[in-house]
Amino acid sequence: MAASLTGLLKPWTPRVLLVRWSRYNPYYLEPEPRKEVYHIPETELTPEQKEERELKSVRPIKAATNSVTSSVFNDPVLSKFVNMMMKDGDKIIAKGIITQTLENMKRKQVEKYHKAPEGKKAETECNPYAIFHQALENCKPVIGLASIQKGGKFYQVPIPLTDDRRRFLAMKWMITECRDNKHRRTLMYEKLSQELLAAFSKEGNVVKRKHELHKMAESNRAYAHYRWW
Amino acid sequence: ILKGQRYIYSTRLSGDSEQHQGQYYTVPPSHFHTVFPHGLPPRYQQQVKTFNEGCVMVRQPALELISHLKRADYSKPTLRYLLYGVKGSGKTMSLCHTVHYCSTQGWLVLHIPDAHLWVKNCKELLPSSYHASRFDQPIQASNWLRNFRTTNENFLSKIKLRQRYVWTKRESTEEGQPLGELVDMGVSRVKSSSDVVGAVLKELRLQAGGTEGGFRLAVAVDGVNGLWGRTTLKKEDKSPVAPEELTLVHNLRKMINNDWCGGAVIATLSQTGSLYAPSSAYLPQELLGEEGFDSMDPFIPVPVSLYSEKEFESCYLYYLDRHWLQHPHSQTEEGKKELIFLSNRNPSVLERLCAFL
Repeated sequence: MAASLTGLLKPWTPRVLLVRWSRYNPYYLEPEPRKEVYHIPETELTPEQKEERELKSVRPIKAATNSVTSSVFNDPVLSKFVNMMMKDGDKIIAKGIITQTLENMKRKQVEKYHKAPEGKKAETECNPYAIFHQALENCKPVIGLASIQKGGKFYQVPIPLTDDRRRFLAMKWMITECRDNKHRRTLMYEKLSQELLAAFSKEGNVVKRKHELHKMAESNRAYAHYRWW
Repeated sequence: ILKGQRYIYSTRLSGDSEQHQGQYYTVPPSHFHTVFPHGLPPRYQQQVKTFNEGCVMVRQPALELISHLKRADYSKPTLRYLLYGVKGSGKTMSLCHTVHYCSTQGWLVLHIPDAHLWVKNCKELLPSSYHASRFDQPIQASNWLRNFRTTNENFLSKIKLRQRYVWTKRESTEEGQPLGELVDMGVSRVKSSSDVVGAVLKELRLQAGGTEGGFRLAVAVDGVNGLWGRTTLKKEDKSPVAPEELTLVHNLRKMINNDWCGGAVIATLSQTGSLYAPSSAYLPQELLGEEGFDSMDPFIPVPVSLYSEKEFESCYLYYLDRHWLQHPHSQTEEGKKELIFLSNRNPSVLERLCAFL
């Protein structure tokens, strides 16, 4: 629908102005939060960037959401994780849990670092962001299963997954694992930090779940041709 | 500031020389259990456990206090020092720095970690046996006595009591017995521990300036504005308890009065644990109230400010050195500017920011 409307688009503003709304007229452009882009001097711009700048001077731009910052510490993957942890729109609590998790992971690793002998010091990874990203990578499944109906029966068919879907599955498994399968009295940040550290070293329940999915897909190889896309 | 130069901290630094301002000095690990069983802020204790060492920054308020303590005349009535400042500016840490200095100089340290703990959240409130209208707090008193015993082991056997104390029909502590016995009795007999605290304070007050015993007494109270104000405790008929009606608070107020000599009273204001005080209040007049200000008057106010540029640099380099700032961007100039902007050089806010970066 957007493709047909683009030809008819004119610069218009609706009678009721939409602010903080995720459905915009496709005429609107995305905001650019990063500071480096604006510091490039005029001479060093490539032709595409020059075109973009000219376009931005005529077209309206969408309002930036609250979670997007121009800070150097902004991490889109972490923001996505925070949004997935959020319940009832309470981002403050979700963000607080994530910061406590990062702090907890860093404390455990830095303690290990200071107590380790000289040879092993370089091996302990202390950066909680690196651990988080690596743990998430280790949890991402390579192949997924889809339920396809053929001849009245439903078969679990192995299918390729997009990057977004893989990232979503890894995060979802991590969160559900921490919410359901841990001791009732431990706090969420403690559970998350334990699970992330385990996933970083390829142990733990989430990586096991990924391996089981892979095994199921491998065992159902015969139905792979049921996929038509 | 040259990078890679390990000037920022070293174990040879003693905590009290003026030229080391902004640098960190290390508290020997053995001192942590003896001098600070209960005084340090909880986040700092976590930091000590993580870094496997305890480093305190030498800052201007603590240096000022220490220089006053060095030059004071201890035959005159006690001087009272009051540390005040915005939330998170380092008042408790300055107090702990001074307490550590006092204990290294051989003083007897009476450290009350937080006076607010005595006026709120008390599970057991017993009517006092000594005075009809007062209330005892056995748990808090016995905890404090246990920590007091750990701090001042070597003084307990040297100080002798000058008065006979009768606790019940069968128990009494005679004159001339060492203070250690009194403290042990208070720890074991929890019911009379508040009265034991009162007795201990009275004995120390009498003997502090004495020429023959000759020890100096440092009374360090954190959150002193809790002693004058309101409590959240209620009597059995649901009427509120005033602070004067608590034995511990009554005895501590007598200690803070400057009618004894041979020591110093160092106090800190605290809004964080305070009751019925607005969160923007940090000046002595606002937090102490009229009654408190009149009792503390005259005192020497010591303002504790946020980090200066040099102190911020020092803190930043310390965290870098201890591998605490792990985010790759936090080690660049831009990240540092952002940290200054986000924390406004407030020590506790900076600590919380660097915790997850």
